[in-house]
Amino acid sequence: MSHFDPVNFRGHFEFFQQNPDWVYLDNAATMHKPTAVLNAITRFYQRNNSNVHRGAHTLSQNATRAFEQARDDIAAFINAKDRQQIIFCSGATAALNQIAFGLMHTVLQPGDRILITALEHHANIVPWQLHCAGFGVTLDIVPLTADNKIDQQAFTRLLALQPKVVSFSHISNVLGHIQPIAQMIQQAKKAGAITVVDGAQGIVHDRIDVQLLDVDFYVWSGHKLYGPTGIGVLYGKTELLEQLKPIFGGGEMISEVQFSHSLFNKLPFRLEAGTPDISGAIGLAAAINWLQKFNTNEIKNYKTMLLKQFYNGLQAIPGLDILSSPVHNAGIVALNVQGEHPADVAELLNQQHVAVRGGQHCAMPFFSQLGLAGAVRFSFAPYNTEVEVATSLQALAQAVEILTA
Amino acid sequence: MTLDQLLTDTKPALSQIYSTDLPELSQAKDWQSKYRVLMQLGRKLPAIPEKMKQPSLLVKGCESRAWLMHYYNQHQDQHFFVLDSEARIVKGLMAIMLCLVNGMSNTDLKKFNLAQAFDKLNLKPYLSQSRGSGLNAMMERIKSCCH
Ligand SMILES: Cc1ncc(COP(=O)(O)O)c(C=O)c1O
Repeated sequence: MSHFDPVNFRGHFEFFQQNPDWVYLDNAATMHKPTAVLNAITRFYQRNNSNVHRGAHTLSQNATRAFEQARDDIAAFINAKDRQQIIFCSGATAALNQIAFGLMHTVLQPGDRILITALEHHANIVPWQLHCAGFGVTLDIVPLTADNKIDQQAFTRLLALQPKVVSFSHISNVLGHIQPIAQMIQQAKKAGAITVVDGAQGIVHDRIDVQLLDVDFYVWSGHKLYGPTGIGVLYGKTELLEQLKPIFGGGEMISEVQFSHSLFNKLPFRLEAGTPDISGAIGLAAAINWLQKFNTNEIKNYKTMLLKQFYNGLQAIPGLDILSSPVHNAGIVALNVQGEHPADVAELLNQQHVAVRGGQHCAMPFFSQLGLAGAVRFSFAPYNTEVEVATSLQALAQAVEILTA
Repeated sequence: MTLDQLLTDTKPALSQIYSTDLPELSQAKDWQSKYRVLMQLGRKLPAIPEKMKQPSLLVKGCESRAWLMHYYNQHQDQHFFVLDSEARIVKGLMAIMLCLVNGMSNTDLKKFNLAQAFDKLNLKPYLSQSRGSGLNAMMERIKSCCH
């Protein structure tokens, strides 16, 4: 295992050589892809391209082997007991939709309750909403404390209503706060609930051991883990995956089709209708294999250092409202310039070639509770540098100066 | 405050923007000065009072919220608008847009090409950058007022 060298790490990303005059701090939206990932995808198309699981020909068998190897690599990465527990889908959104749809007709019955938190991404709100009303299931929301953390007392209280499903994010995409998921999963299980964790922001921050966490479902998108867009993972406990009603029907997911009815294939294929994103899965596995060459703790420490530098710099800029807490933070800082709209701040940063996001970050309910139009979000990755942190601070100071002149 | 009043207040603001701010904007040397002018300019347009911001006035497709009110003077065949946005840069850009279209006849407004008009004023870069900020959404809404 190599010692973490930020310059070397950044060198793996061609994007920065192509865009030397940009500071990219929108990593929570999507991350850049190392050369290892780009090469794996290109190589697949150049050498091994064929459809999977279908052809009797050798080329298809080779493609299938590469695709299924990706599944093995991902299973090992999160310590899944069995490879069939890794369901490929297009991303966290697709995974959460499959879970909500799939449980609603099988595990959940009218009159049941589902518990989510006030800090969720729309992807962990709307899929539940879509089915709740029509199916007669109630959605309860855990409120936040004054410092924008999940109110753990209220969580305990709401668990007493015995929700059948509890779904929450590992790390908030708006604030960067790391939720105490191990403890929350245990509590939810004790209350008899099925646990769903939206790992869209969590998977890149820490090593996940799904067996240790004993979580029922853990989902994420490949593109926020140095992988390509269009691929994601739905991990689930086998007995629960077996119960999910497939959201898509089509090829590969059936074992027998008659016009009167069809018999479903076994896992994982049952939940993977149609031709999968073969190169995406291979690209994602390449990302994971590449990432494992680096020490997770060293990466985390480096990111913490950048975050600390950023927070220290913010102290010198007047008139800021900082929404994110620096403790238990995965590298995201949401803030506002007092009295100014986040879109204005983001545009002035954009003028200075600092890429951040200004708005509601797909978390409208969160911002309406706070009565805010949104926030400007700076999200850091290990390929960012101390120089970039300094540049972004200068740019923010300049934006504040222009806005308050 | 009534729509009449807002329309009356908007008119002199627009002519001032047209005669003073637009020339200043085209002469601004660096991006900082340009944005300072843009934001001043937004401030000159009267704000639509909170009470009047009905959901039906909201222009969708903007990262920040924006509102549009419309009045058509049938007698003189002229379209008049009042607009507001919670983001200052967007409001400034929308004010420029409004300078160009306020008081137009139905035929002229229908034919109006925002990109060409911004190009003439050397403002085209703002338009492409702000595509996401809802300037085009606002233009579409303005045009939808034509008959
Ligand atoms: C916490 C969280 N959940 C879900 C998603 C949805 O991810 P995707 O759009 O890749 O499906 C995101 C992406 O922004 C996220 O940050």
